[in-house]
Amino acid sequence: MRMSTRLAAEAKRAPGFDAQACMSCGVCTAVCPMGYEVLPRSLFRMVLLGLEEGVREHLPKIYSCLLCRMCEANCPAGVRIAENVRSLRTLVNRREFKLT
Amino acid sequence: MAAHRRIGVFVCHCGGNISDHVDVKSVADAVASEPGVVVSKTHTFTCSDAAQQEMIADIRNEKLDGLVIASCSPKLHLFTFRGMAERAGINPYQYVHVNLREQCSWAHTDDPGGATRKGAALVRAGIAKAALSRSLHALRVKTAPCVLVIGAGISGLRAALALADLGLEVHLAEQADEPGGAVRRWGPLAPDGQSGREVVGGLLARVRAHPRVTLHTATGLVAKSGSIGDFHLTLRSAGGAETALHAGAIVVATGFDSYEPKPGEFGRGLEGVVTLPEFRDGADLQGGTLTFRNRTVKSVAFIYCVGSRQSESETCPSPNAWCSRFCCTAATHLAAQIAAQEARGGAAVTQVHLYRDIRTYGHNERVYEEARRGGALFLRYGDGTPPTVERADPGLLVKVKDELTGDAEIEIPADLVVLVTGMVPRSNPGLMDVLKLPVSKDGFLGEIHIKLRPVETVIDGVFIAGAAQSPKSMAESVGSALAAVAKAGALLKKGYVDLEPLIARVDADRCLWCDECLKACPYGAIEKVPCGGKEIAQVVASQCKGEGACVPVCPHGALDIEGYTDAQITAMIDAGIRGEAVR
Repeated sequence: MRMSTRLAAEAKRAPGFDAQACMSCGVCTAVCPMGYEVLPRSLFRMVLLGLEEGVREHLPKIYSCLLCRMCEANCPAGVRIAENVRSLRTLVNRREFKLT
Repeated sequence: MAAHRRIGVFVCHCGGNISDHVDVKSVADAVASEPGVVVSKTHTFTCSDAAQQEMIADIRNEKLDGLVIASCSPKLHLFTFRGMAERAGINPYQYVHVNLREQCSWAHTDDPGGATRKGAALVRAGIAKAALSRSLHALRVKTAPCVLVIGAGISGLRAALALADLGLEVHLAEQADEPGGAVRRWGPLAPDGQSGREVVGGLLARVRAHPRVTLHTATGLVAKSGSIGDFHLTLRSAGGAETALHAGAIVVATGFDSYEPKPGEFGRGLEGVVTLPEFRDGADLQGGTLTFRNRTVKSVAFIYCVGSRQSESETCPSPNAWCSRFCCTAATHLAAQIAAQEARGGAAVTQVHLYRDIRTYGHNERVYEEARRGGALFLRYGDGTPPTVERADPGLLVKVKDELTGDAEIEIPADLVVLVTGMVPRSNPGLMDVLKLPVSKDGFLGEIHIKLRPVETVIDGVFIAGAAQSPKSMAESVGSALAAVAKAGALLKKGYVDLEPLIARVDADRCLWCDECLKACPYGAIEKVPCGGKEIAQVVASQCKGEGACVPVCPHGALDIEGYTDAQITAMIDAGIRGEAVR
């Protein structure tokens, strides 16, 4: 998968997106009530690394997050995960669905 | 033969450590009638204050001139009892230590009778040795209040200043034309952002202004003679000018070299693949844009652990097994600076850091955190799957498996690839030859004990500091430099050193000077002197280590080691086996 430096740069600039502080421990994935293995750690990582194909493949999962904040309450790096999902939705709405 | 001696024997129970398996009373009784023995007693703990007081009273009352204490290993209490002998008024070298605990009771727990007989034999041997003991006196060498510091990098500069502040005369010799070492060219450094130029500049100004420091640039050490406290040294400048020095100690702070990747290693040789020092020299963040050698950089990939933590393989037969300690911090600090520039409104830079393990230990963990929060991406590669770098159009393409995305093959386009290169030992064969300093297996200078004696070397009076010893950060280098200062300062401020008198001596009547001893001595401690119409060998007391290589090669039996003379060893063997024959 080729890294899109443009997507990586946009993610970095997206308001409220702070998944850079993630240290990839995987606690969030373990506690996610949705049980998708990409939620939310792997998904953020694909966005950060600008892996457009990967993000596209998992679009429905971005919208299936319940914003329950179970992950956020357990994140040892203090990442504002639910805020990041919302920021990611805004980014996808613009890039993929041209909504804004 | 020893009837004229007055020897005291004291056998220790060591609680039960000895007496559980050795019948100490019967050992004391068995040796009581040995020639020269006037006192033979036991004590529960000979090392206790009370027992020492009693022994001192016995030494004085009985006017003893020889002492045998049969107790534990001399490693534990040789110096305890030497001190006691001295307090009691007899020469410490007329005291003989016998090891009953390690050599009898602990070694023969299944055979108390045998352990006791062996104990008696060892004590008899000790008595025979004490009967032939002589008063010996430590050789006192006056120390020269002057230190030669080799290498004017951060470690050498800091050491020179601290030594001069102690009141010592310091000569600081730097091989390069400019002092300052590696740090002199560096910009802002972790964790506080102060630049290497500033740090070194400040030190250098103080060194230049100090009345007791003489800085010699483009200068090396070419000759050394003498020994601890009393070295005679010759410095030679690139122009050939020589300076003679009389110094009491030497601090070696010769620094490190930066690893140079082999052609093809992580794309080395391709345009845009640079090492960490090249990046530090050529990168600029002024004006809100990251540039390298005046070209704008929008994306940069850092590859960590280049030249460090290598495993042995066909392409790498002698791997650099060590972690270079400073490079994770240096690279993450660069990342944080680039991110901070971006946060201040500068041009966007995509930075991907390909690492094996991040080792920003101690306070520098904060730097790593700052880099991550600032948007630098960190991606771990497995030891068996290193990234590859190839030419792309335009720029470069780095390919790597990302462990944390399920080993996805990721292709990262980059304008610039920085190989985060570590430290390697600086090869200095000429200097090592002059100093006779051993180099450890990895090529760095070796200390005596990695934890307890980290700046001392096997050459007394020669200390090591900084990255010459092993990869170190600046703070660690300065720490070791000041440790070397403490050791050298303690040595020289005392004004003298006492050397162990257990060294070789020459029998002037027997010696006919054939130079066999000179050839056998690895310390250069033999010299030829005229004596009563002939030439004989003389031992240079300050250089002799009492190693004994000269003794067996002498065709005339003219050499002996004090404390271990042939006569003493022969008498010990005779006394030891005499008891066995009786049995």
